[in-house]
Amino acid sequence: MLTFTLAGASQRLAPRLGTLIAKGRTPIQTPHYIGNTSRGVIPHITHDNQRKHTAIRSLYMGLEDFIEKLPPRKPPIYDIPYENDISPLKVFASHPPSTLLILSPRRFPPVETPTANTNTTLSICTSVGFRSLPISQYIDATAKLHPDIVISPCDFVPPAAKQNASVKRVEKMSDRTAVWLRDMLAMKKEVREEQGSGGNNGISVFAPILPVEGERQRYYLDQLVEDFKGEVSGLVLYDCGSLGEIPESLEELPRLMLSDPANPRELLQQISLGADMFVLPFVSLATDAGIALGFVFPPPLLGKDGNGSTRVPLGLDTWNEENATDVGSLQEGCQCYACVKHHKAYLHHLLSAKEMLAWVLIQIHNHYVMDQFFAGVRSSIANGTFEEDRQAFERYYEAEMSEKTNQGPRVRGYQFKSKGGGEPKKNPKGYNKLDDMAESLAEAPVPSPSVDAGDLEEHGLGQVSKS
Amino acid sequence: MAAEQPPHQMPRPMLSALRFDLLAKCSTTKARAAILHLPHGPVPLPIFMPVATQASLKGITPEQLADQNCKLCLNNTYHLGLKPGQAVLDKIGGAHKLQGWEGNILTDSGGFQMVSLLKLAKVTEEGVRFLSPHDGTPMLLTPEHSISLQNSIGSDIIMQLDDVIATTSPDDERMTEAMRRSVRWLDRCIEAHKKPESQNLFCIIQGGLNLKLRRECCGEMVKRDTPGIAIGGLSGGEEKDAYCKVVNECTGLLPERKPRYVMGVGYPEDLVVSIALGADMFDCVWPTRTARFGNAIVPSGTLNLRNAVYANDFTSIDKDCKCTTCRSQSEGGLGITRAYLHHIVAKETVGAHLLTMHNVFYQLDLMRRAREAILEDRYPDFVKEFFERLYPGGAPEWAKEALGSVGVVVP
Ligand SMILES: [Zn+2]
Ligand SMILES: [Zn+2]
Repeated sequence: MLTFTLAGASQRLAPRLGTLIAKGRTPIQTPHYIGNTSRGVIPHITHDNQRKHTAIRSLYMGLEDFIEKLPPRKPPIYDIPYENDISPLKVFASHPPSTLLILSPRRFPPVETPTANTNTTLSICTSVGFRSLPISQYIDATAKLHPDIVISPCDFVPPAAKQNASVKRVEKMSDRTAVWLRDMLAMKKEVREEQGSGGNNGISVFAPILPVEGERQRYYLDQLVEDFKGEVSGLVLYDCGSLGEIPESLEELPRLMLSDPANPRELLQQISLGADMFVLPFVSLATDAGIALGFVFPPPLLGKDGNGSTRVPLGLDTWNEENATDVGSLQEGCQCYACVKHHKAYLHHLLSAKEMLAWVLIQIHNHYVMDQFFAGVRSSIANGTFEEDRQAFERYYEAEMSEKTNQGPRVRGYQFKSKGGGEPKKNPKGYNKLDDMAESLAEAPVPSPSVDAGDLEEHGLGQVSKS
Repeated sequence: MAAEQPPHQMPRPMLSALRFDLLAKCSTTKARAAILHLPHGPVPLPIFMPVATQASLKGITPEQLADQNCKLCLNNTYHLGLKPGQAVLDKIGGAHKLQGWEGNILTDSGGFQMVSLLKLAKVTEEGVRFLSPHDGTPMLLTPEHSISLQNSIGSDIIMQLDDVIATTSPDDERMTEAMRRSVRWLDRCIEAHKKPESQNLFCIIQGGLNLKLRRECCGEMVKRDTPGIAIGGLSGGEEKDAYCKVVNECTGLLPERKPRYVMGVGYPEDLVVSIALGADMFDCVWPTRTARFGNAIVPSGTLNLRNAVYANDFTSIDKDCKCTTCRSQSEGGLGITRAYLHHIVAKETVGAHLLTMHNVFYQLDLMRRAREAILEDRYPDFVKEFFERLYPGGAPEWAKEALGSVGVVVP
């Protein structure tokens, strides 16, 4: 079973410290982030690098990444038996048993689908296209795949449409989400009864808080408290505002944020309101843009790098030509593998040569920065200085992530932000990242047209011919 | 400089920054096992060198490369000359420091890539003339430029600039000219080489498929006494039996106590045969390039993991493989299955990285096993077993013939 312990008496809408423990898994000190995966891996990070060079021991996976095969063909994950308390998904993707696995129907952030959910199905996007996933299939899948935590599906309304969602739509969202949660909890009970008291970890279900104002989901929240309390092990929040809608009797449950903060400032704000765990797309987005995150929490004292009149950027644009001969590390004093073994000049070279290793190293660094950041957040909360530190952070750093000056690996299909329901189907063939990158990865590229003769000469590749 | 130079004097004697310890010779074939002591550590021979074209091996870290037992990898001078360029290399202090690689590096001269990649490149006595890809300005790469750039790169083994033309070129006169010019260019490289105490200059034997030219070239090159010797011009699609005859002819004329490097060769069967013919070092982009397309090298050939037959195959790429990817988790590896590779190849870069590690390991391990067999004087048996697994229906004719010429009969 999952246990979540809060340190000290927690106040409503205040930062809090917790420990999430599942038997046999690495405990998670919260606030923290969960590693975000694509097809079972953190993008660019092979499993050995993850183990040796990151502290990521918990992973978030979307079922849609594994079920492109349609009946009668069976997705391979269902061919692996559940044994010894280890999820077949972990076995399939070669993650060690101690990894804490959170399964959701969809990857994060999900690609918006052209068709809406129905009463019994979710609209999803697999590597071969959009389709619908019957809720019953998702529930069966979680029973077979036995993740440590499963996210009960939310009949999610895209953020853009949320404000204007009609009363009827919100009602539908709350009804469906409640029914799906009920079915999910029934499955959980069945699994538990099947297993008896063999001491295995059961499946822990996290229930959504709907991303609408409290009054509009009153009925759903009442059900959550009255019918499902005790069966629900945690909450999933899609919106920072939902932190204020959590019923008092569910305060002690761990909160997973699928709110997609765009930058550390937004992230800190959510922590200040009592968020516990996050899936953070901005980390990989920064990596793909060639930005090495460079912030720490609490921030350095003012006066060192400025007098407060100019704020410090949140990251280093590794593409920047200034880095070409700089043998300093991506972030001064950083102890990550990339910074200990390599320097800005190499990273700059790799990026401009479009070598895949650039993204590997920046991704390792960026996750390390986040590990340090959350460790800093936790000790700041423990010291009772979080609010102060947060304000200092806002004064010290720029609000937004740096504008990216260059293209990273090309945008993948699942990164497309579809404009909403009515849009024509976007064929997610851009999913095929390697093919996309094939050109840039060509073994022996001809010099780019931007290289002129003078450059070549300067580069030692011969001289301008005088004869 | 004039278009043709008169015969000239021998260049200054060469220093050497390596030691070649010959450990064993096969009693049947011409195979040798040795240790090559280079400035960045010893390298067991025979060896395969993976190609890290732009100072990076297809997304795997130098640490992961070392984990696959790599001690010597290749960088391409032409690419490093473009990016990051000589000025940056000088400032950073060379390619080892650039890429954080503690092992050895070999660089080519840059000439081959220039001639093969740039249209309108033309070779004259001075060097390779080409038009700037940007504005069409006429440019020139001389032996002196190539060596200067390789001195800035700081590679442990550097290659002379040679006059490369297709081996299959039927023009004997041009072939003779190219071979003799390569000898003259070696002399210029030796004169231009500023760091012989830390970088080993290898000459390159040219002469196409013409054995008489190859013999003449061997004679001239050997006189120059470079620390190592390469056999060049053989990666251009010539017939394999002609290739084998050239390698066999050259190794017969080369001094025993120097490393012999056959450039641009890397299919497993080519390595096994070339070792039998007396070659020690090889490089090829194929193992890493093919990984990117989802191919894994195994004793029976290659597996394309994009193929749907692997979707539900929960075994490792090769059950005997001890690479990081294949080794089980209980052995400290990752225990990656074919099914999972099928799931991510061509979709996540991690798929390519995992296959790259496997393929590099496979090639290096093939060399390790060959070396062990030579040390135990059972190389002929090793060769037979290797070909039986790869070609259960019988080895190709060229291999039978080449191996037959050194006393090994494969079915
Ligand atoms: Zn770092
Ligand atoms: Zn392997």
